[in-house]
Amino acid sequence: MKPTLRVEDLHHTYLAGTPFEAVSLQGVDMEVAEGEIVSIIGPTGSGKSTLIQHFNALIRPQAGRVIVLGQDLGDADLDVKWLRRHVGMIFQSPEQQLFEQYVGDDIAFGPRNFGLDRQEVRRRVQKAMHTVGLDFEGFKDRLTFTLSGGEMRKVAMAGVLALEPSILVLDEPTCGLDPVTSNDLLCRILELRNNHGTTIVLVSHDMESVVRVSDRIYVIVDGRTVLEGTPREVFPEAELLRSHGLEAPQITQVMCGLRNQGLDVPVDLLSVREAEEEICRCFGFAETQVE
Amino acid sequence: MSEFSAFRHITIGQYLPVGSFVHGLDPRAKIVMFTLLVATVAFANSYTASVLLLLALLGIVYLAHTPLRYALQGLRPALPWITFFAVLQLLFYRDQYGSEVCSVIWRGGFVTVTTCSLRQIGLMALRLLEFMILISLFTLTSTTTQLTHGLERLLHPLERFSFPAHELSLVFAIALRFAPTLAGELERIMKAQASRGADFGEQGRLRFIQRTRNMLPLMVPLFLSALRRAEDLTLAMEARGYTGGRGRTSFIQLRPVPSDYLALALVTIFCAAVALYNFRAIDGLVATAVGGYIKDVASLIVR
Repeated sequence: MKPTLRVEDLHHTYLAGTPFEAVSLQGVDMEVAEGEIVSIIGPTGSGKSTLIQHFNALIRPQAGRVIVLGQDLGDADLDVKWLRRHVGMIFQSPEQQLFEQYVGDDIAFGPRNFGLDRQEVRRRVQKAMHTVGLDFEGFKDRLTFTLSGGEMRKVAMAGVLALEPSILVLDEPTCGLDPVTSNDLLCRILELRNNHGTTIVLVSHDMESVVRVSDRIYVIVDGRTVLEGTPREVFPEAELLRSHGLEAPQITQVMCGLRNQGLDVPVDLLSVREAEEEICRCFGFAETQVE
Repeated sequence: MSEFSAFRHITIGQYLPVGSFVHGLDPRAKIVMFTLLVATVAFANSYTASVLLLLALLGIVYLAHTPLRYALQGLRPALPWITFFAVLQLLFYRDQYGSEVCSVIWRGGFVTVTTCSLRQIGLMALRLLEFMILISLFTLTSTTTQLTHGLERLLHPLERFSFPAHELSLVFAIALRFAPTLAGELERIMKAQASRGADFGEQGRLRFIQRTRNMLPLMVPLFLSALRRAEDLTLAMEARGYTGGRGRTSFIQLRPVPSDYLALALVTIFCAAVALYNFRAIDGLVATAVGGYIKDVASLIVR
């Protein structure tokens, strides 16, 4: 099946030809199939943000190819506006981009930019607010800057979801969120994919989130893909991850620790539940009712 | 090339640590020389004076080991405006100086082009070029720390008259230091809004006919971000014991050396000479000489 997003040997240098030149990407390869949730992890400065900004043509490929929804993003005649309607990008701390006085207006900004009529705009705003968990009637006329940080982030996210993109790119979505809100957000991301078939690309430092939602993971270090695969394939590579300043999720660390103590347990587990099963099996215990 | 990284190429406020004679000058001397040169450039009213200044500035650029094209990069976004004003000047200039004799070069309808209006445009272009070089030179060869200290030391004597020298130089330093940061912030916001379908045109150059409302998605978040930073900065400064400039000592001590005085003296003499001497006469001589030469060459070709 043809991938909906493909990156081939992508290179990028910031401020090339000046004394402040900085190489960001040195040959990244990536593929995302329709309806997949793919996470990109890597140490700070590895080029993750640069990479994802290519996906909606904020940055054009300097060398290499990026093909999204059948469009070559290196093409000079690319319909950028069309692309941005179908590839939604939610930046880090998106609440900082709010500007309208009323919540409803800010969420409507996106759909209005694409010339949709009032009925359609209203419908989309309503749907987007429902997706993020904001009550339409209760919030649409609230003053934007009187909301809490978490609510403002939901408004910002709804603003992008109102475009109903087929690919959604999120840069550190759980950054600065408490565990409950973070959990809630991840559930909604899964819902988006399960109910609407939205392809999701996630950049994150939060391994616990990554292990929960990802179908596949790409590890980017120094502008190159160093590891790729399902979470079960990637996270057990503890040594490799640590050498690049990354850590595996806690559950993997626990299982690795147990294995190092001599216990014959698999390390490619993804949840506490699975770990519990394996440990019980190992010791011959009956399973308890751990949630 | 990204549509949005135009802001990062702004050379104003950037320090290029190349290390040259100009880099090492006392910042107080640099500030005084900068002011003198700016004044002289602003008041130069003849081609010869302008050209002399340009040559002097290019000489300083050479002394500062700064690549010229880097200093001129800031000129590119301003070019459409310069052409616009040049055309306006050309069309609507009225000969104001009665003592001046302006010969008409071309007349068509209500438009009159005289030697005076032509000179105004030529001088304006040269002036802008020189300002650009001067400002870039100034900021490329001095760190903001140096400039702040230099400015504060220069204005310190005025504190006797309740002039807030310390506060002013602090404001100046913070503004310079945060200009690139806010530019980066603006880039971030532009990208976020563009991702939602907002239109900002190419290369960061704003279209002439643009409604103010289009600016709100950029200006409101930017203002909020700046205010947020200001609040955080205040807290950070107070947490480290900042209570104003009274009795505050400094790690950096400015001590002038003979080369500073020499540079200052040279620049002062040069500026005084250029400002006071009437170069219009030389302009006339050069014009007649060049005109004669061109006529000779033309007649040679025609024959």
